[in-house]
Amino acid sequence: MINVLWMYPDILNLHGERANAKAFEVIGKKLGLKVKIDRLDDLDEKVEFDKYDILLFNAGQLKEIEVLSNVLKNQINDLKKYIKDKKIIFVTGTTGALFSNNIQRLDGTSFKGLNIFDADIKEREYVLGDDLYFGFKKMKIVGPQIQMIDIDIKDEKPFGKVIYGYGNNGKGDEGIIKNNVIFTNTLGPVLVKNPWLLEYLFDLVIKNKKLKVKKKKIKYDLEKKSLESCEAFINKKLENK
Amino acid sequence: MRKIWFFIVLLGTKFGLLLCKLFHKQGSMIAGKTAIFFQKDFVKYFTNIDYNKVFFVTGTNGKSTTTNLLYHTLKTSGKNIASNVEGANMMSGVATTLIKNSNIFGKFNKEFLVLEIDERSLRNIFKVLPAKNLCISNLQKDQVQRNGDPDFIYQMFKNSLNKDVTLYVNNEEVRSRSLEDYVNKSIYFSLERNSKTFEKHDFYDVTCPCPKCSHKIEYEYYNIENIGKFKCSHCGYKSNTKVDTLITDVDFDNKSFKEGKDTYKVKYANPFMMYNYALVISVCKRFNIDANTIEEGFLSFINPADRRETYFYHGKTIRYLRMKQENPETLQNALDTIARDKNKKAVYMGLYEIKDFKPAYNNTFYFFDCDFKKIVETDVEQYVCFSKTASYETANRMLYAGVDNKKLKVYDVEDDFDLIFEDIDKLKSETIYIITGMKPYHKIKAFFNKEGENND
Repeated sequence: MINVLWMYPDILNLHGERANAKAFEVIGKKLGLKVKIDRLDDLDEKVEFDKYDILLFNAGQLKEIEVLSNVLKNQINDLKKYIKDKKIIFVTGTTGALFSNNIQRLDGTSFKGLNIFDADIKEREYVLGDDLYFGFKKMKIVGPQIQMIDIDIKDEKPFGKVIYGYGNNGKGDEGIIKNNVIFTNTLGPVLVKNPWLLEYLFDLVIKNKKLKVKKKKIKYDLEKKSLESCEAFINKKLENK
Repeated sequence: MRKIWFFIVLLGTKFGLLLCKLFHKQGSMIAGKTAIFFQKDFVKYFTNIDYNKVFFVTGTNGKSTTTNLLYHTLKTSGKNIASNVEGANMMSGVATTLIKNSNIFGKFNKEFLVLEIDERSLRNIFKVLPAKNLCISNLQKDQVQRNGDPDFIYQMFKNSLNKDVTLYVNNEEVRSRSLEDYVNKSIYFSLERNSKTFEKHDFYDVTCPCPKCSHKIEYEYYNIENIGKFKCSHCGYKSNTKVDTLITDVDFDNKSFKEGKDTYKVKYANPFMMYNYALVISVCKRFNIDANTIEEGFLSFINPADRRETYFYHGKTIRYLRMKQENPETLQNALDTIARDKNKKAVYMGLYEIKDFKPAYNNTFYFFDCDFKKIVETDVEQYVCFSKTASYETANRMLYAGVDNKKLKVYDVEDDFDLIFEDIDKLKSETIYIITGMKPYHKIKAFFNKEGENND
């Protein structure tokens, strides 16, 4: 059994990311895996880190990130142990700030994140919206990026290499990967659009838990055609640059 | 000196407008743009404006309809009124409205001024035109490439407000309601539970964070998507039980409702319009406009912002529903309209890449904010997804909603409507629904006007 905890679904909910939680169910079923998804709705409820293999943090607003940071700091040692045990955390969008160090807001105030990543965040004055297309291992990952923050990842390892788009700060790096904490700026239903990334997350759990399961093969025909459409659209933009 | 410059700019732009009128050219936008180009704070030099009778209307969805309805109803009641009902809702549009409705000395010559205001322009317009009334329809996700997340716009609203402003606000809309904290007076309008009210209990349903404490918001019910009786799970923030205007006894079939002791007949009856009526009644009550006069306005109102059209084609009825891309509420409204039709039907969806601003990009997140389940549960013969960039993603969304793969058809082509609509004749369904954003609108309309029967 693979246990997924969908973190604060109503609070971290900006761009249709509830579909990422649904993707765990849909793709898990197609792969023949037993997947259980729980919700953690209440900020006052403690996270039972021992029970879960994957924590899903979807995109949220900086305003809420500050509140979440204060909530999760109460369990920071448990969280660090979870990460040290190579369990998986998947984070999208501005919620990357939650796992960073210092967050500088536009109004001059700042707050501290959970400092899992040694990265600093600066709120942007203008929204940046574009496609984000990047490579991770042999995978191609695509999705929209609505960037409200710039990210200085210092010496942290980027999650992917940008093929097209802004990524962390327009310099070619996309997201962060540390142990099995994966952060991507790609928003929306990124796991629906890129189910191969979700399968990679499942593989990490299978390896960690030494699960004896035989996954079914999926061709992902529709998703591959969707990726091709997006690639063609992006290539056209690159040609016109 | 600045005042003298104002007179020069005003005279110049008025002369420009006159020339445009003489030569039958569209010049209304240019007048305001020119004025603002030459004098950034041009708007602030107009005189004789009673700011107590200036109403700004803003919000994510419905601001054009609300502005038009408010303007029309006040005008029907005999008020002398100016408005930017043509839809130019930024500083230049406001300038144009004032140029058109003032004398050569910049003396405003109307009693009321009702202005639709773009959310992002609100703060700057308030600085030069300190209206005492702000009507907010709602604050939702929209145009995320420009607006980012709702809090980005919320902060803009918050920073625009001052204690002199009277806020007209939807009692059941979580975000805009909470702006009550930044004004001295709020007028709350509300819609009671009705036959179109719905609840959500699915595992994957989500709400939103409380704007006051960031905890989870819970809804008892929804009147429209994201709007309904709510309460925060933590801080006590909730829909008021006592409001200034409460619409009750809605009869959608007979197009009527009650407000207090008064019964109103209306032209358009849907939950979204009910909130618009409630807001307009709130304003009218303040100026002692009686219910009969208000009703007269509601009955004679023609909504220029209506996004629905019907065509007749080879014996079939084509219901074309347009929505704003990146705006889940307008897509959900279209989906709800289709779901209410229990007869056999086909659904065509053309959801495209977003080209509102540069760079164009592909964002399909809003498909997943919407609930397709209600449609899937009805008798849909076929789903057709078309567009070069997003057709496969649309199809995938339908599969996630539980649609049978055999009912899905994908056309990954750009605007080839001879091909996309080639199989309409083969369908058993008598009604065909089409959902798109604005982009293919004219081409689809042209297709059915060319091929169809009795279409204007």
